[in-house]
Amino acid sequence: MKRRSIFTALSAALVLAAAQGTVGLAANPVLKVGFVGVTSGPAAAWGISNQRSMETRAAWINETGGYTIGDVTYDIEIVSFDDQKDPKRAIAGMEKMAQEGIHYVVGPNVDNGAAAVRPVAEANGIMYFPYAFPKELYMAPASNAVLGMVANYQSGPAIYKYLMEEKGVKTVAFIAANESDPLSQRDSGLAAAEALGLEAVSANVTYQVDTTDFTPVLTPVIRTRPDLLVLSGVSPANAPQLIRSARELGYQGLISTETAQDAQVLREGAGDLANGFISVGGASTPEIASDMMVEFVTRYTEMFGEYNDESNTKVYALEYILATLAANPAAIEDVEEFKQTMDTFEAPNPYMKGDAMMRYVGMSSFGQRRQVAVPLVVNVFQDGEFETLFVAEVD
Amino acid sequence: MTHSGMRRTLALVVFLVSVFWLIPFLISVSGRWNFYFTLTSVALLSVASAGVWLTFYIGRINIGQGAFALIGAYVSAILVTKADMSFWISLPIAGLFAGLVAVLIGLPILRLRGVYFAMITLVLTEVVRLAALALPITNGAKGIVSIPLPGELSILGITLIPDFSTLENPKLAFYYTACILMVVCYGALYRIVNSRLGHLCRSMQQNEELASSVGVNVAYLRVVIFAISSFFGGVGGAMFGAIAQSVYPSSFVVKDSIDFMLNCFLGGLGYVFGPMLGTLTLYFGWDLLFELGRYQLLVYSSVLILLILVLPNGLLSIRLNRMRSLRR
Amino acid sequence: MEQVIANGVYLGSQYAMIALGLTLIFALMNVLNFAHGQMYVIGGFVTYTFYGQLELPFVLALLMSCVTLAVLGALIEKFLFGPVIRRSAREESTMLLAAGIAFLLDAIILLVFGEKQRGVPKIVDGVFNWDFRIIMPYDRILICGLAIFSIVAFITFMQFSKTGRALRALAQDRVAAQLMGVNVNRYSMIGFALGAMLAGLVGGLLVTITGINLGMGGPTSIKAFMMVMIGGAGVISGAIAGGFILGMLEAVGLAVLSQYGDITYLAIFIALMVFLAIRPQGLMGKPWG
Repeated sequence: MKRRSIFTALSAALVLAAAQGTVGLAANPVLKVGFVGVTSGPAAAWGISNQRSMETRAAWINETGGYTIGDVTYDIEIVSFDDQKDPKRAIAGMEKMAQEGIHYVVGPNVDNGAAAVRPVAEANGIMYFPYAFPKELYMAPASNAVLGMVANYQSGPAIYKYLMEEKGVKTVAFIAANESDPLSQRDSGLAAAEALGLEAVSANVTYQVDTTDFTPVLTPVIRTRPDLLVLSGVSPANAPQLIRSARELGYQGLISTETAQDAQVLREGAGDLANGFISVGGASTPEIASDMMVEFVTRYTEMFGEYNDESNTKVYALEYILATLAANPAAIEDVEEFKQTMDTFEAPNPYMKGDAMMRYVGMSSFGQRRQVAVPLVVNVFQDGEFETLFVAEVD
Repeated sequence: MTHSGMRRTLALVVFLVSVFWLIPFLISVSGRWNFYFTLTSVALLSVASAGVWLTFYIGRINIGQGAFALIGAYVSAILVTKADMSFWISLPIAGLFAGLVAVLIGLPILRLRGVYFAMITLVLTEVVRLAALALPITNGAKGIVSIPLPGELSILGITLIPDFSTLENPKLAFYYTACILMVVCYGALYRIVNSRLGHLCRSMQQNEELASSVGVNVAYLRVVIFAISSFFGGVGGAMFGAIAQSVYPSSFVVKDSIDFMLNCFLGGLGYVFGPMLGTLTLYFGWDLLFELGRYQLLVYSSVLILLILVLPNGLLSIRLNRMRSLRR
Repeated sequence: MEQVIANGVYLGSQYAMIALGLTLIFALMNVLNFAHGQMYVIGGFVTYTFYGQLELPFVLALLMSCVTLAVLGALIEKFLFGPVIRRSAREESTMLLAAGIAFLLDAIILLVFGEKQRGVPKIVDGVFNWDFRIIMPYDRILICGLAIFSIVAFITFMQFSKTGRALRALAQDRVAAQLMGVNVNRYSMIGFALGAMLAGLVGGLLVTITGINLGMGGPTSIKAFMMVMIGGAGVISGAIAGGFILGMLEAVGLAVLSQYGDITYLAIFIALMVFLAIRPQGLMGKPWG
């Protein structure tokens, strides 16, 4: 019993010390933005690329004098919590964010975490930006979650349609890991493909995430000779192995996925075999990246040694939060103000060339504006680099 | 006897006062509201860990508690969302169902011992996860979401438990509920260990053949113990589902099963309250190291290894050593 | 069918090697080494660093993996497992230590090698294609051959060298071995180092095909446990049999059950549970676990 109170006191002291440390450093008042996601264990790559892009942007803002919201210029501090991909931890993380007085949180990275933190977020007035696709999170009566990227049921149809028209694709096969997120993505991808008139020749082959040899998994799929093989919700670790196994089995058709991938990982893991692999990316390909995006990549690389292309899709959430707060400073303490501003908010997209705008969308998918409008950039891997195949919009 | 009895009563009173009064008081003074959830988790996880500890007591390494927690969470969620049942009635049903599954699975697999039993229970966790993905009633990969908060429980018009959604602070309500569950569970555990059943268990832990030869119905006993153990797991899991208001196949996975076992080891296999202390240290420890950022796991694991090096028989063995030296 | 068998043999050879190290450590010290998978991952990353990054010859990189892991294994035994085993009341308590070491190695891997999936250039190009009946890339055939060669070398070492005999004596009966003049502490350390080295060797071999990332540790350990249990805990031939059986089970199971989709692995795992329930000590294990 004594132990508990000692722990309480100890942690209170720790928090106090940390808070003082940050205040001592900065001349500006500090605006804290949270991150709850997975930064250790098998799925660490998802959360780490996310956390690092937030930290890169925050350091950049602070170095150049801070971010002005209303009359006050703030330094941005990112408070990160590692949920170990465990929904129980994710709730604890969200509670921690509430405790720190944070109203804007990026994450969690997976479906069950995003669903589990909903009660906490709604009770404590926190807007959160998960990278999870279930529609229930974004449709009324839920109102505090904002989808931080393009969902696969939005990008999938765009990709399939493009490939049907441009490459004459008629048959499609799906393969997914036997976990919640990939399976849900496979089901919605399958529905989208069938709605477009594609014939699904194989859609029920699954694999364990710890598979080390995909040849036996892929053999029956390849036998069905699809024109397009979709790797539903594939993790960056599995993608190169799946591509390599499929090609080595003699598969000649197209391969695509609706998640973001990293060029370096594909280069090392599959080399030239990954040529022609289609994935969803952000704004870093030379055709569309603005100077600001180029600088972001440079700063990220300087800070952490190596860039991760998955961050291209994850650079936006923080930017949206800050820009929306700038549009309505009252939202800093009150997320209801934030929600109102979301309906009308519009600002130039700094990461893309041209006149792309940042605004909230999602009316057709969710019936309310609960998604950030990021360009749907579809990339193709060619000789070690991503090239932009086409860019589309989500409404 | 009276002396140690008095000490025991005193310890119990101190414990209850700390859990139900001191901790809420400290939290309200310090304003660290988020500790409620963490401590609620600790209470619930220690209920599940208590089950694992009980299987250790009959000499079985149980790495399958995650399976029963998941079963409990699903049973409660399905009853609440599809049959409109009150959560409070679904809670014991979830435990009983988990216990029933344990009887059916336990009959064949409890013959196994040592690492073989450990292994088969580990596989069981994965089997239940995959079954939850494949079965239609569990809603597969999409999970069961938007589960309502526990409603009112009343008998003859007298409200025993208020509707959680009308409460100003459901966090506190969950904390008290979890703590009551924990106290009841450890009370039951203490009773079992100090009863004839506990005596028989100890004899099984030492030598099953010998126990069997002196007339102990070993097969019956171990199934009963395994069922009680899984009942604890099911109840803990169901309660978690109510807090998260959602259940997914990945809500309890192999990692959770292993964690439940580690809680028992860390607290000490020889002490009834070992799993509680082990859960507190392992689960709360992670949260406390939150400020360390990327070094969190490094420090966490280093401290864990140091603890094992110093106290290889569990945290509570400190007390044992001291008492031994006193006796001498 | 030929393809299925070929897939099974390839999977089996790599599984068997992973299981060998684990079962050796279990036989010698009754430790279920939860950190085995992490050792495998470190082996992979060491080969990645030397072969992929520094562009040294593959064989040299492989050797570096073996040496690194052998040293690591020896240190872990000497300073962690040894003392804890001597002082703990119930020997299962070492599982907590093993898990703690697994966490620690995970943390170190994340800090040193990063979170990304890594891969190295192929060691041989080309694909063997026998009339579309067996398709197998040459590098897989090579790795499969190397794995089988290592297994044979390991068995020969255990059978005929003095160290091997001492280790076997130790595994059979610790007390008797001690009475016969075997230095138990020394050989425990050698045995642990050898087991860790095998994990490193597989990691180094497989990084050329599957690549490596920090998340592979835990699942690899669990898979290795399964193989060890199928064959029988603490028996070398059992580990090899278990590895090949699980490899075949996966290859055949995936081929036969693929049309049932999501339940393929469910069926494989249930089959495994039924098998263990019928044959509680695995194929050739000691009846005691």
